[in-house]
Amino acid sequence: MRGLRTTALAVLAAALLGAVLLAATGANPLVAFESIVVGAFGPDGLPDTLAYAVPVAGMATALAIPLRAGLVNLGGEGQLVLGAISAVAVGLQVPGVLGIVAALLAGVLAGALYAAFAAVCETALGVPLLVSTLLLSYPAVSLAAYLVRFPMRDPGSSLPQSEQLPPDVHLPALADTGLTAGLFLVLAAVVVYAVVDARTPAGFEARVTGWGPRFAQYAGIDRPRLTVRLLACSGGLAGLVGAVVVLGFPYRFIDGALITPQYTWIGLLAALLAAASPLGTLLAALFFAALTSGGFALERATQVPRELTAVLQAVLIIFLAAATGLLRGRKGAA
Amino acid sequence: MTQPSPDQPPAVSLRGIVKRFGDVLANDHVDLTVAAGEIHALMGENGAGKSTLMSILYGLLRPDAGTIELAGREVSFDSPARAIAAGVGMVQQGFALFDSMSVVDNVVYGAEPTRRGLLDRRAATAAVRELIERHELRLRPGDRAGDLPVGSRQQVEILKLLYRQARVLVLDEPTAVLTPAEADRLFVVLRELAADGRTVLLVTHKLHEVTAVGEAVTVLRDGRVTMTAPTRGLDQGRLAAAMTGREVDLDRVYPPGRPGAEALTVRNLTVRRGDRRVLDDVSLTVRAGEIVGVAGVAGNGQTELVAAIAGLLPADGTVRLGERDVHALGVRERRAAGLAHVPEDRGEVGAAPTARLADNLAVGFHRRPPLLRRGLLRPEAVRDHAERIVTRFGVRAPGVSAPMRTLSGGNQQKAILGRELAQEAPVLVVEQPTRGVDIGAVVGIHTELVAYRDAGHAILLVSAELSEVLGLSDRVLVMYEGRVVAEFAKDEADAEAIGLAMAGVTAP
Repeated sequence: MRGLRTTALAVLAAALLGAVLLAATGANPLVAFESIVVGAFGPDGLPDTLAYAVPVAGMATALAIPLRAGLVNLGGEGQLVLGAISAVAVGLQVPGVLGIVAALLAGVLAGALYAAFAAVCETALGVPLLVSTLLLSYPAVSLAAYLVRFPMRDPGSSLPQSEQLPPDVHLPALADTGLTAGLFLVLAAVVVYAVVDARTPAGFEARVTGWGPRFAQYAGIDRPRLTVRLLACSGGLAGLVGAVVVLGFPYRFIDGALITPQYTWIGLLAALLAAASPLGTLLAALFFAALTSGGFALERATQVPRELTAVLQAVLIIFLAAATGLLRGRKGAA
Repeated sequence: MTQPSPDQPPAVSLRGIVKRFGDVLANDHVDLTVAAGEIHALMGENGAGKSTLMSILYGLLRPDAGTIELAGREVSFDSPARAIAAGVGMVQQGFALFDSMSVVDNVVYGAEPTRRGLLDRRAATAAVRELIERHELRLRPGDRAGDLPVGSRQQVEILKLLYRQARVLVLDEPTAVLTPAEADRLFVVLRELAADGRTVLLVTHKLHEVTAVGEAVTVLRDGRVTMTAPTRGLDQGRLAAAMTGREVDLDRVYPPGRPGAEALTVRNLTVRRGDRRVLDDVSLTVRAGEIVGVAGVAGNGQTELVAAIAGLLPADGTVRLGERDVHALGVRERRAAGLAHVPEDRGEVGAAPTARLADNLAVGFHRRPPLLRRGLLRPEAVRDHAERIVTRFGVRAPGVSAPMRTLSGGNQQKAILGRELAQEAPVLVVEQPTRGVDIGAVVGIHTELVAYRDAGHAILLVSAELSEVLGLSDRVLVMYEGRVVAEFAKDEADAEAIGLAMAGVTAP
């Protein structure tokens, strides 16, 4: 209850500060907020919001998995892009329904192996996970950029993008919502994470490790093995998200298309704010997706510059972070 | 000792202090008056409200009601920094050290000597070295705090207080990890400080300390003051009754065990730290139905011995559980092979303070029935399991869903011990089982350990409490500088010979 109230207060305070900022630039804050809400949840905006929420929620969950054990995977972007490009490469070769399955598996495998490699860099070579995941992200993104400029380039286009996947290797669309069956894959991943986290020995051991590394060692938890496994799961889900995105419209890998929307970083933010709890991470991801989607609408509807919508989001995020920090701090004092 | 003059206001005066945590009234209108230059003991069972009261005095907690006066002036601290500035210093049970920094850095942190605006390392080291020598502490100024065993870490905490020249010193069970000789030395320091006009508040569980060093004692029970008296001519039975509400038999003698087959066999165990052998060629055997006690001054390799047996620390030599050589195995495999372990550091190693009590108690049971069924943990089984341990070992807790840190130190210890005993492992290695535990609970824990032994289990008991080692052990080993230097059978073990061996003096 107190959590809800504090969160609501944080949102309200952010809205007030945002209103002042908007008014200072000459915009009407009420109109601006209305366009954010309508843009996020209105009949025109909702499909966009949901389409955007799927990869954000997927990435948030992917990054929450190791975060539960106190491990931060900063290489989500690389794993996401590697998953996407692998899915396209396989999807272009294998026809039919088998192609969809093979492409998704290729995405999962690529992301999982790459993240596990970053984990091994820590467990075997002593490179801190923060460093190994983040730095390995860049070559992965660059490799994909190279592939769609040269070997995998669409000959019929001047853009850095792959050929379009054949129609039978598209994920089924859900009516005319702009969503694909990928929604269910991501939802399934969230459910699996929630169940594993709460009800399995493996999830329990991840939480124990998050509570305290020395306690985990005392309890007999093999930290290196846990690190590699959690990173493999994390990267695998990131790779799946990449595959799901490219197997939907426009059915190809476009360089930068997975980076520009900030799926990874908004996802990481959601996971951090929710302390990696499965449901909290999902809710935070949906909230941020709505906010971002509404921000685009604000840009379209008013004269408010793009930078200001980013400022508004930042204000809200800071207030929310402060509120969650406050909640944890209060519990800590008891 | 200085005689407080009647017209001088008391150094510390707490009046009507009330502090509530949820449904628990931790302090219920507590009054406490301590004269300047007095050593005042504060006693009480775990959860009686001692730590809460001292945390309020030190600015860690704010009282719900009541006033604090220092030397007649009303004060209100919203942080320990304010309390320190006002001359109140505290050594807490848990340690607040920077592990990666040296002893000197830890001591001067926040009050560093400077020279032209820069940290004056030489002056800092000199000041700390002088304090170490004056108080005969077993510390080296340049050692990394994180490398030190618990006993030495606490000495660093005391050193911090001495360095800050606090007028009012609060020590929360400072002797729990010290040997009798070290405790005596600490008492000399405390008396010296009191003679200097400083005020010492000593939170303790030990009756003999109260009479040895205290001039007055206040006893808390269930958040209320049940007794305040000068210690001169104090009746110990009355004191114990004020704490527990019942008379406690302190001289219980346990019958010897009936040793059976070798359950734990350690041969030539050696741990190196740099060039030093912190554990040096230790061999020992514990049989089923036997308690083997390890005595020694903290920091003489006991911590490393336990960590090496548990598999937490790489070591040369062999460790056998029953017939099985577990030397090459990790912690999990050793536990599976029949080893339970109660570590000395319950805040970081033995438990997760932020996690629920039930989750803390599930650790080690989470991969087998009844907690696990068809690959899934059953929440109701986790709760039942925790309830059973809480009930059986009399753990006082707001509930099994409460975070571990809401329990008092002694109740956390009971919970951890209960969890490990419930493993029913053939071998139990237990370190400082009653540190920070009240007298009533000490008897309970000792009874449990003896019952566990009599059920045919082997126990290796490492304790800084000599009386505990003597009272419980069928054999006593003494460690000194990483080696086992003496061994005594139960009937030939006496405090004097063991004390000498602990100090490195052994008969040829």
